[in-house]
Amino acid sequence: MALLEVKGLKTRFFTEDGVVHAVNGITYELNEGGTLGIVGESGCGKSVSVLSVMRLIPEPPGKIVGGEVLFEGRDLLKMDAEDVRKVRGNRIAMVFQDPMTSLNPVLTIGRQIDEALELHMSMDKRQARQRTIELLEMVGIPEAGDRADDYPHQFSGGMRQRVMIAMALSCNPRVLIADEPTTALDVTIQAQIIDLVKRLRDDIGMAIIWITHDLGIIAGLAERVIVMYAGYIVERASVKDVYGDPRHPYTIGLLGSLPRLDETRKRRLFSMRGLPPDLIDLQPGCPFAPRCDYVIDRCREEMPPLEPVSLGHEIACWVDVRSSRPSKPAS
Amino acid sequence: MAEEKVEQRRRWREFWRRFSRNKLAVVGLVLVFVMFFTGIFAPWLAPYSYTDQNLDAVEQMPSLAHPLGTDELGRDQLSRILWGARTAVIIAPTATFFGVSLGLLLGLLAGYYRGWVETVIMRFADILFAFPGILLAILIAATVQGRIEAWLKGFEALEGFVKAGFAQVLVVIVALSAVGWPGMARLVRGQVLSLREEQFVEAAWAIGARPWRVIRHHILPNAMAPIVVSVSMSMGGAIVAEAGLSFMGIGIRPPTPSWGALIIDNYSFWRSPAAPVLLWLPALIVGAMVAAFNFVGDGLNEALSPGW
Repeated sequence: MALLEVKGLKTRFFTEDGVVHAVNGITYELNEGGTLGIVGESGCGKSVSVLSVMRLIPEPPGKIVGGEVLFEGRDLLKMDAEDVRKVRGNRIAMVFQDPMTSLNPVLTIGRQIDEALELHMSMDKRQARQRTIELLEMVGIPEAGDRADDYPHQFSGGMRQRVMIAMALSCNPRVLIADEPTTALDVTIQAQIIDLVKRLRDDIGMAIIWITHDLGIIAGLAERVIVMYAGYIVERASVKDVYGDPRHPYTIGLLGSLPRLDETRKRRLFSMRGLPPDLIDLQPGCPFAPRCDYVIDRCREEMPPLEPVSLGHEIACWVDVRSSRPSKPAS
Repeated sequence: MAEEKVEQRRRWREFWRRFSRNKLAVVGLVLVFVMFFTGIFAPWLAPYSYTDQNLDAVEQMPSLAHPLGTDELGRDQLSRILWGARTAVIIAPTATFFGVSLGLLLGLLAGYYRGWVETVIMRFADILFAFPGILLAILIAATVQGRIEAWLKGFEALEGFVKAGFAQVLVVIVALSAVGWPGMARLVRGQVLSLREEQFVEAAWAIGARPWRVIRHHILPNAMAPIVVSVSMSMGGAIVAEAGLSFMGIGIRPPTPSWGALIIDNYSFWRSPAAPVLLWLPALIVGAMVAAFNFVGDGLNEALSPGW
């Protein structure tokens, strides 16, 4: 049985401007020790989908309107607040995007890591501090014993993200959700953080959900990839298939917009035309249709279901991109 | 843990370095210290009792026996000013304390729980805000005065206190607290609204912290700077409001000395040669203390705001 199963999850935000359809029925599973990548551009519902899993959607205005989130067989969406708190940070931990703002500026980092330990592991202050120092050493903070008494502003961005990871790992979670944890860091630090997470995953054996808009990061990290667009999953495949045999026009577009090192001929980077749709006023049909080069009439009428094209490879598209030509030339 | 102490001391030094850059703030702080010192030690500092009348020496100009002269009943003006500091030292911090506590609590509730809790609290605060503060204080003071006095008469043990003007002090404190909280509630609510969107608050939720812990560890400490500044400013406000109420005759009444009461007591001497010490001096002291608390507030603001 999968460690974490998300079935038909739907999250909406009821705002003054209208109902935002942020997540529109997504389904995926995460196995023990596995790594799942969630990819998509800004505002496609990546973050909201994992925040919904953690029940961290602010209510109001947000609301999870449907679906199930089975973690170790129990539905997180049906638990009361106290039980969910026992899962958060303890069994499922999260690392956020911007390490500059995800630490409390007025508490030492040691105090902040102690917090999770005192909450879930019922450790006293001394035990907690000892474990905190171990954790800081584990994520590669030099002189961890001294640095635990430093404040966040005394750390660089990369170091802060290491601190956040230490905090997330403090209670040996089964699942680590990483919400674009390297987006705010520069490339060399990105690589270090990714290596660190990979190492920790293999040492501790936790499962990871890694959210990013950068397909390049996912390549070496994940086994399975979900591509999201406008709150829908449009393609779900093994990492090999996503790169080697992408079938959804959106995935093809995303990959085309990546620069490649192994390219011999100079080529213009592909840029997808148009903007992501307004999630308040979602038109019937496929949300990607207005930007799609392969669009057919049916796309504008009916949202295609997610269906397998080969073993372990599913797409939500009416068109077979291998047999049809783009109706419009790629811009 | 010794290192933590060193760290604490370092932070204090840093705080003082930033605070003392503002010279006016240092002057204000000295004045505030002087006020608290005289207020606390008034019985030992004052050469006479504040009620001692000497009808042979009324309306005297300053002399060696009476450094600031005497009033129409021959009471020593210096002693009355020193005792007036005591009234200010009792009223300003207490009224501020209750006003701030109430504002803090209601502001936290409103900002944290949102929804109808916020609507009820903030609309009520808006209604109170719609009145000029002093008018509302007068209204409240006038309404509760009789009740508080009647209620205190029920406690025989408190008779001495009541005679010493305790009931009036209580009335002023109640009135000023009731007027003072909406400002603080607005300030705190605003802080909470912006802090609750911070990622470190979200991160605290994500490790499974309970609401109270999030408020205590992550929201309040980060909202402290503007709150501390506002506390300092409202101390000055309380002194001037007490003077105002006493001036209207619904605050502190003779013989209990307060700076505001001194002004109204001696109001009729405005053309007398003793006017500078009898009338102008208490007014000047009230003004100076308000300015002092505001300067301290400015200094705190500069010392506590990040990015300086």
